[in-house]
Amino acid sequence: MALVTYYGTGRRKTSVARVRLVPGEGNILVNDRTIAEYFGRKTLELIVKQPLNLTETLGKYNVLIKVEGGGPSGQAGAVRHGISRALLKVDAEYRPSLKKAGFLTRDPREKERRKYGLKKARKASQFSKR
Amino acid sequence: MPRKGPVTKRDVLQDPVYNSKIVTRFVNKVMLDGKKSVAENIVYDAFDIIRAKTGKDPLEVFETAMKNVMPVLEVRARRVGGANYQVPIEVRADRRLSLGIRWLVNYSRLRGEKTMRERLAAELIDASNNTGATIKKKEDTHKMAEANKAFAHYRW
Repeated sequence: MALVTYYGTGRRKTSVARVRLVPGEGNILVNDRTIAEYFGRKTLELIVKQPLNLTETLGKYNVLIKVEGGGPSGQAGAVRHGISRALLKVDAEYRPSLKKAGFLTRDPREKERRKYGLKKARKASQFSKR
Repeated sequence: MPRKGPVTKRDVLQDPVYNSKIVTRFVNKVMLDGKKSVAENIVYDAFDIIRAKTGKDPLEVFETAMKNVMPVLEVRARRVGGANYQVPIEVRADRRLSLGIRWLVNYSRLRGEKTMRERLAAELIDASNNTGATIKKKEDTHKMAEANKAFAHYRW
C-alpha cells in the first residue's frame, strides 16, 4: 500500500460516495463490482465517467468507490461529485473546467418533507367549499 | 408566468448510446410515471427493431423522421374586435422540436402494434418515409395555416 491515492467524498440526495483514485489502467470498481454491473444503465455510467472524460484522465487511474444510501441515480451523482473532488487533489489545474461543468457543486436538492395537513410535501387534498 | 425575468432553458445530457440530446428528450417524452429506465429500454429496443427492419442506422432514420414531422407553420387563435381569428404563425425552432417529439410519441401510442417498442419503431420508420399519423398531423397543421393565410396580417 505504498501507492499514492487521491481521496474525495461526494454526496448527492441521500447518497454518500467515498472515492479513491490510484494511478493505474482505468478500472472502475463500485462496491467491488464493475460499473456496468453495479449501475446497469448506460446513462448512469455516463454520469460517473463525466469528470474523467472532461479532464482526459479516463484510463489513467483505477477508481475505487464505496457508495451507500439512496438510489442508483443519486449514487451515480454522488460518485461523480466524489471523483471530481478527488481529481482536484491530483491537480488543482482541473478546477476551472470542473467548476464550469458544475461537477464540484453539491447538488442541494433533496426530498422535501411531508407536511401535516397536506397529502405530500406540497400536494393538498382537493378544496371543498362545504 | 414568472415574475422574475425569463425562464432559463434547461439542458439535458446527451444519451449514452447515440450521443444525441434529441434522443434524450425523446426518452423523456416516452417516460411515464417517472420510470426513466423503462423508457430508455423501450426507445433503445425500438431503435434495434428499426435497425433490423430497415438495415439503416437507427439514428439516421430517427433524424429524418424528426425532420419530416417538425412543423414550420401553425395557427394560433387571436381575438380582434370580438371575433376569433386563426392566425398563421411561424413555429420557433425549440417549439418545432418539442412538437415533433410530442406528436411522434403520442401518435405512436395510438398505433395497433402490441408493444410500445414495435409501435415506436413502426411510427419512426413511417415518419422517415413521409407516411403515417404523425406526418398527417403535421400536414393538417400546415393546411390550417395555409387556409387562414388571409389573417396573416393579424400577426402580433
